[in-house]
Amino acid sequence: MESIKEIEAIIEAVLFTAGDPVPLEKLSDIIGHDKKTTKNIMTDLIFRYKNASRGIMIREINKGYQFCTKPEYNDYIAKLGQVRKKQGLTSAAYEVLAIVAYNQPVTKAYIEKIRGVNSDSALSTLIDRNLIKEAGRDDGPGRPKLYETTEEFLRVFGFASIQDLPVIQLNEIQEVMENMPLD
Amino acid sequence: MSSALTNAYTIKLDNFEGPFDLLFYLVEKNKIDIYDIPIAEITDQYMDYLDAMQKLDLEIASEFLVMAATLLHIKSRMLLPAKETTDEEEEIDPREELILRLVEYKKYKDFSEYLKEQEKDWVLVHYKLPEIIPDLVIAEELDVSAEVLRSCYIRVMSQYKGRMNDVSKKMKRILDREKVSLKAKIREILDIVGRGIKICFSKLYNTAYKSRLEVATGFLAVLEVAKLGRARVEQPKAFGEIYITPRKDR
Repeated sequence: MESIKEIEAIIEAVLFTAGDPVPLEKLSDIIGHDKKTTKNIMTDLIFRYKNASRGIMIREINKGYQFCTKPEYNDYIAKLGQVRKKQGLTSAAYEVLAIVAYNQPVTKAYIEKIRGVNSDSALSTLIDRNLIKEAGRDDGPGRPKLYETTEEFLRVFGFASIQDLPVIQLNEIQEVMENMPLD
Repeated sequence: MSSALTNAYTIKLDNFEGPFDLLFYLVEKNKIDIYDIPIAEITDQYMDYLDAMQKLDLEIASEFLVMAATLLHIKSRMLLPAKETTDEEEEIDPREELILRLVEYKKYKDFSEYLKEQEKDWVLVHYKLPEIIPDLVIAEELDVSAEVLRSCYIRVMSQYKGRMNDVSKKMKRILDREKVSLKAKIREILDIVGRGIKICFSKLYNTAYKSRLEVATGFLAVLEVAKLGRARVEQPKAFGEIYITPRKDR
């Protein structure tokens, strides 16, 4: 059986080659250990990469692992002259993305009810950018399309998973109703 | 007051993503407690904004008008005396639904701002493209006798015999075609003409023993040689024989 150092070397080689996130299950298959052990090794490895004076680190995305550069070296990477700048999203697109992120899978009607405005173009922009995707259809009348966020969404906005999204005060509404001043 | 407001709005005109966005802007601008919105004031300001939009000849999305109607409806309900209620029944604030929706909207609006910040940080991070690693094909051991293999081979070959021949014919034609070059043909004719020989085109290039492509290229070469002034080309009869006569160097 390989030593822990060797296992880490294997993981590094595999992650480097894969480029895309390597799912935890796949990784545990490759190194021949159970998922829990693999997860522990990865957590440790992520921590060590983060704190070592190295230009790369490991990100957890959607229960997979991926190498990426550390943000502080972007200025130097830019000198390579190969970094493409993406056009920013509109405020409308960010709003729709926020609604999809917290309510997925979600219909267009639900999004528009919250925003109070037609959201067709924002939705199609987000689909084009691969930040959201169709996720089947709702059982309700008309069987409307459902939307959910993609792995690209997690990557672009720095989340490990959907569960990693910050908790927004959902019970705030409850408080509003209690504190509502009565005339 | 109205003109000052108009000026203030014109700068931000395009930035409102919808009626809630505008309403929210007004709430923040007036430093109003979102849970206790002075409906009359907000409605006035909201209507002023729509007026400003109209003066600029901007198309007002129907959603903005729906909100205007809702605001006016709430305003009118606030003016009316509340219905008498029993002790157990709670009085319903006409603003409740609007406030709830506004709070709900604010929640996502805040989160969308958070997303923008997150993106700024993470755009600085770069990834590597995946390497294409072909799946390893694991060779399976075959357990068949040489006799079975031989009969399989014969069967397959007989099935494909016709097609195989076709391919070789096609290949031959393709290879032949590659040999035909206009330059080579011109050189060929110049060589003959240079030796002062008069010749018939049909002797030189004939479909009987040359490919059609070669004949066509040969014809082009003859025209080229005539253009160079190295030969005289005559065809006494239409579709008849073409005579190529060498010309002395001028």
